[in-house]
Amino acid sequence: MAFLPDESRSLAPPPLFNKGSVWLGFAGWLSALADNAFNQRPVFRAGVHRQILFASVGFFVGYQLVKRAEYVHAKVDRELFEYIRHHPVDFQSA
Amino acid sequence: MAAGLRAVRRWGLAAAAPPRLAFTRSAFVVRKANNAQPNWLGVGLAFGTSAALWGFLIKQHNEDVVEYERRKHARGHKCTGCS
Repeated sequence: MAFLPDESRSLAPPPLFNKGSVWLGFAGWLSALADNAFNQRPVFRAGVHRQILFASVGFFVGYQLVKRAEYVHAKVDRELFEYIRHHPVDFQSA
Repeated sequence: MAAGLRAVRRWGLAAAAPPRLAFTRSAFVVRKANNAQPNWLGVGLAFGTSAALWGFLIKQHNEDVVEYERRKHARGHKCTGCS
């Protein structure tokens, strides 16, 4: 099972800065700050390379997860509309 | 009798303080962290990995946009239900 099947490329790609990527990037940055705190280093000024790396990894993972989520939602919508199309009797708007 | 008492203390049965639970590691296998001198290899790897991740992400996003537009035009706007 592919994480992102080829037909997901027929969907509009989500913008680079979306809810998932920004939030997970922020969470990665926070975990770098927490690592500084637990090792008794200055929280913001220490380990900037670590903060950038954790934030980037979080951003990347968030973006891929949002792409997969949008694909799954689109697939379910397509199946739903196909079902409605094939069973018009059940969906008469009275 | 003194030897017996010494043995009991060694076994920690005689009011020994318990080790603190936070972040204890065996002193045999870890080095004291030296935060004064930068670990340049680690710094280089971190920046390099970040740059590679961002480059890959931006490249993949641009390719996805181009591929989406190409497929939209190839479909010839047959389906009006989806945008």
